[in-house]
Amino acid sequence: MEMKFETRGLFEKYTDKEQFDRIREYGSVTEMWDVCLAEFGDRIAVSDGGKEYTFAELEEDAGGFRTLLSSLPPHSRVGIYAPNCYDWIRAFVAVVTSGHVAAAIPPQLDAPTVFGASMMCGLSALVYSPALAEKLEIVKAKRPDLPLIPSDSASDEKTSAVKCAANDPCAIVFTGGTTGRSKGALLSHGAVMQGTVNGCYGYRDVFYQRYLLILPLTHVFGLIRNLMTSLYTGSTLFVCRNNKDMFRDIAAFRPTIMVMVPALAEMALTLSKKFGKNMLGDDLKTIICGAAPVSPFLIGEYDRLGIKLLAGYGLTESANLVSGNPESVSKPESVGIPFPHQEFRIAENGELLLRGKNMMDGYVGVDEPDAYDGDWFRTGDLVRLDAEGYLYITGRIKEIIVLPSGENVSPAEVEAYFNEFDFIQDSQVFEDENELGARILALEVVPRATELAGMEPEEKKKYVVSELEKKNATLPTHFRVSRITVRDSDFERTPAMKIVRYKKFK
Amino acid sequence: MNRTEIIEKLREILAAAGDGTVPALSEDSNLASDLGLSSVSMLYMVIAIEEEFGIRFDDVGASDFVLLSDVVDYIEGKLR
Repeated sequence: MEMKFETRGLFEKYTDKEQFDRIREYGSVTEMWDVCLAEFGDRIAVSDGGKEYTFAELEEDAGGFRTLLSSLPPHSRVGIYAPNCYDWIRAFVAVVTSGHVAAAIPPQLDAPTVFGASMMCGLSALVYSPALAEKLEIVKAKRPDLPLIPSDSASDEKTSAVKCAANDPCAIVFTGGTTGRSKGALLSHGAVMQGTVNGCYGYRDVFYQRYLLILPLTHVFGLIRNLMTSLYTGSTLFVCRNNKDMFRDIAAFRPTIMVMVPALAEMALTLSKKFGKNMLGDDLKTIICGAAPVSPFLIGEYDRLGIKLLAGYGLTESANLVSGNPESVSKPESVGIPFPHQEFRIAENGELLLRGKNMMDGYVGVDEPDAYDGDWFRTGDLVRLDAEGYLYITGRIKEIIVLPSGENVSPAEVEAYFNEFDFIQDSQVFEDENELGARILALEVVPRATELAGMEPEEKKKYVVSELEKKNATLPTHFRVSRITVRDSDFERTPAMKIVRYKKFK
Repeated sequence: MNRTEIIEKLREILAAAGDGTVPALSEDSNLASDLGLSSVSMLYMVIAIEEEFGIRFDDVGASDFVLLSDVVDYIEGKLR
């Protein structure tokens, strides 16, 4: 089943008409940047550390930084190793508009891994934050030829931007990918641009917004949906330097749109209820949520606060968003409609395969022969499509549990049944052993405190288990779990705040 | 505010996350192994403490707090 819906028309009704007509396609980031400077020059592009920078000032600063890169041959790969800050953004704009390739190196990497990343990417230069200088000792010792440029460097001499084509390389973004091995996805200018434009669909007010940046810029969701779409739309990006300060930053900056993972959206809701005030501020209208499954409960709760929480689906390999859900309230389980131009196919086993302008040009430094089926990228995600063209993620191939009966079970598909309860915050279905050593399906849940207020602890657990058991009994037999455990605490989480899955059996 | 009162407020904060119950909280409780705090719940706890006690954490890392007593010490120091 191969499909490419021209879905632009489907998204039209969700956006202000005048703004929708302004959503245009550009071939490259350099072409987009020219338009940004012409249309938004005097507007504030970035607010960081108490300073504001207009688009024109960002270009002026980037022009000086381009001079520092001018001796590099075309399409050189330049690493950026720094925490979220204005200097990161200035370096990225300078590298990309010089016709070079920006390799976003996560700031939490240690010294050996930074060296490994520099080799894997074949870097020709490395822009680094002076605060991270001590983690460059191995790079300095083993690659003494590699130019190291402090991210706060400047030059009075300005160098002009170059013009890039859609198929020119633009960025390398690290990912665990579908096999879990860390590697860099090489994204072209065309891919980054398509991902950037995709971020404009499905909500009312698109241009001249106030974005708060919480996600790391080295993550594709932070880089493309947060930074790039903010620049594209003439919006202001406020850099939150420390997540613990996010609510203070929100009170000061009053964002209108935020891009976040569900765990943070859940946390904001819990804090708002505990302290009896909307911690996200009265100006916030839209939350773009992704990188992990979004619970229907969250969507409903935010809707009551007048905030549209829109789930999306995307990968690093697809330059971020592939689909977005403008009907989050009526179809809360869906990750939405594929964006315009997205080519996709659902394989016989249910796996989603992707092709199109937004797709990467392969991985850097590693060979992943199973990443493609012909020229289709294999996402590793199992999906279904409803009659109206909305996508639903039903699981991941690598998480499939093969039962002793030979039946395949996708944990996510089973978890979805239990997550329908408002009193369930998170759940995990996994394969375990019973006391006789037989393999069974087990369920652990983290209840949502606010939905169980007023009950005694033991009464609470009994109630949760009893409701889940009732639900369990209605499921197809191979989906039924044999053990239900109610946790007192959250699941272990990855740095991206995703739940770490149990792996008892390989 | 004495240490017992601080711990009681911490209990209320932690109860608002999770399932609303907190297993016996003592100064020796290990934040990770006894209370099962993930990176998200640590962030939640820091933000909620700032709001509840009207204090501001310096740029401390999660690894700076191992036991509940470390958190209580820190809050006491800030309130002093």
